[in-house]
Amino acid sequence: MTALLEGRGVSRHFGGLKAVDDVDFHLDEGEILGLIGPNGAGKTTLFSVAASSIPPTAGEILLDGEVISGHPPHHAVRKGICRTHQIVRPFTNLTVRENVLVGRYYGTKLSQRRGHNDAEETDELLEFVRLTPRAHGLPGSLTLAGRKRVELARALATQPRVLLLDEVIAGLNPAEAQMLVGLIREIRDRGVSIIMIEHVMPAVMGVSDRVMVLDHGEKIAEGSPAEVANDPQVIEAYLGKEEVAVPAPEQEQA
Amino acid sequence: MSTLRQRLPQWLPPWALVTFVVGFAALYLAPFVLGAGAYLHNLMGLTFMFVSGALAWNWVGGYVGQISFGHAAMFGVGGFVSARILLATGMPFFVGWIVGGLVAGVFALLWGHPTLRLRGPYFAIATIGVGEATRLIMTYWEPFTGGASGVSLPIQGGVDKYSLYWYGLYFMAAAVAVSYYLRKSRIGLGLLAIKSDVEAAGDVGVNATHHQDLMLFLSGTVVGIAGAFYASYFSFIEPGDMFGFQRSISFVLMTVIGGIGTILGPVLGAVIFVILQEFLIASYPELYLGLYGGLIILIILFEPLGLSGLILRIARGAGYRPRGPVAGGGVGSSAAAGPAVTSEQEEEEAPGMVEEKT
Ligand SMILES: Nc1ncnc2c1ncn2[C@@H]1O[C@H](COP(=O)(O)OP(=O)(O)OP(=O)(O)O)[C@@H](O)[C@H]1O
Ligand SMILES: [Mg+2]
Repeated sequence: MTALLEGRGVSRHFGGLKAVDDVDFHLDEGEILGLIGPNGAGKTTLFSVAASSIPPTAGEILLDGEVISGHPPHHAVRKGICRTHQIVRPFTNLTVRENVLVGRYYGTKLSQRRGHNDAEETDELLEFVRLTPRAHGLPGSLTLAGRKRVELARALATQPRVLLLDEVIAGLNPAEAQMLVGLIREIRDRGVSIIMIEHVMPAVMGVSDRVMVLDHGEKIAEGSPAEVANDPQVIEAYLGKEEVAVPAPEQEQA
Repeated sequence: MSTLRQRLPQWLPPWALVTFVVGFAALYLAPFVLGAGAYLHNLMGLTFMFVSGALAWNWVGGYVGQISFGHAAMFGVGGFVSARILLATGMPFFVGWIVGGLVAGVFALLWGHPTLRLRGPYFAIATIGVGEATRLIMTYWEPFTGGASGVSLPIQGGVDKYSLYWYGLYFMAAAVAVSYYLRKSRIGLGLLAIKSDVEAAGDVGVNATHHQDLMLFLSGTVVGIAGAFYASYFSFIEPGDMFGFQRSISFVLMTVIGGIGTILGPVLGAVIFVILQEFLIASYPELYLGLYGGLIILIILFEPLGLSGLILRIARGAGYRPRGPVAGGGVGSSAAAGPAVTSEQEEEEAPGMVEEKT
């Protein structure tokens, strides 16, 4: 059986810096894959390549066995891959609801929308991320937690098969984090496969079916959360950072 | 009214349609009812053309957010192509206008597609180059433009100045309708998203290149038709006037004075431009640059959305509360104009709190 999403020998270099170097990965249908690694490991860069935000230096990305890399990002989105941004990037000149509508109108194929009510489904999505009371405000009027959910709803509006979440939990207080973890599970239960980058270890270890670890652009470990947490190489990569072995309660975003 | 509401697309509220229809009817009938003198009648026709041109410039300058100092190139191409077609074939004038416009639109795409990737001042500088290069080539290309002696349009097959008022009105009505559509429909959302963050827009499926190319093509086409109208209006055109840098600047001025990125703005701006041009500059030509320069500085300093911003501010003072952002940003800012909302909402929210009230 072919994986839903697959990366083969993916590299992305910035000048002499090998941000991502010859990484193979895969994501199965209905799975939540955690992507962890120290700061600067290349996690975000791998997302950017997977979502076609930037082209790979070498290697390719396949969705359902079909090569999708090498095209502009809107191509990947319509194929069913959508990413969020580590540093939230809402459209500041549009209302919350309009932000989501952009994803709806542009991220889906016409055939996906036929027979559907754009307005109604957008409102449902806003309800899902609990932004209904703020639908007609600008994203600038929301807290970080709110803006992260705008970003999430906007990505969901594109009706992705694969959702790439870049640190949606980092920087939130425990209650907010709890809620987002709940949302992520529910999104998966609705049939969306997810890769999530996260530094907040309890969250990522708790929710992931499988975890993959990057360090210096290379994949150094992969397996169940328990396997990865006890992997000596992973512990070394996080040297001085205790949160792999001993889950820390909370971590601030840099 | 409620059935009308249901039949209209979501982006077209009944009040907008009613305003449009009433405005159109009033201007259509005005000459019969008021019977203004020929001078004012003709001047209004010319104003309609400038309004259309300014609205079209705004599709690139305001909606895409790329300031063009080269739109005279399309104005001139539209004018000369139309003139040549009318001279050579004797076809009805509107055929010349439309073909002239389309050629101008394609010409805009030709130079715009590669240059629209340039951002901010780099695009603006490129357009100055394109405008000046086009002017020089056209001045020396005598068989086409007649060089310094210009081209006179045929009387036969032409259109008399009196009826140009109504053709100008149709033209303007179309430009207003397209402006409204491009602002309020899905394309408008996509354009605002691109203006806010091109990369994030791409990541949710917006194809920025397509949008920008489309805008430039439409803008070039309509400004080309404006040039063709101008040629028919004066029955004589010469490259120095059509392709001149001042022509390009005039589109920038009209839009910026009125309010860039808005729909009302270019309309107001063009009207003011014509009034100043006719009544002030004619008697004090040396005032030209100083006056406009001063206006622009005032706008950039105090009211990035120009006259429209001023009107909005007054309206808000009187209790008008628009929902959501009003326009896509003013002069020199690609960030939100969104002047309307925020303050009250910010107050009800302490930082760090989850804000839903479920
Ligand atoms: N556009 C770019 N140009 C040059 N270097 C870059 C660029 N983007 C990322 N890098 C570099 O590539 C490396 C990997 O960065 P990346 O953002 O992918 O790391 P990360 O694993 O997401 O880190 P963090 O946990 O801090 O978000 C870093 O050294 C970074 O400085
Ligand atoms: Mg990162």
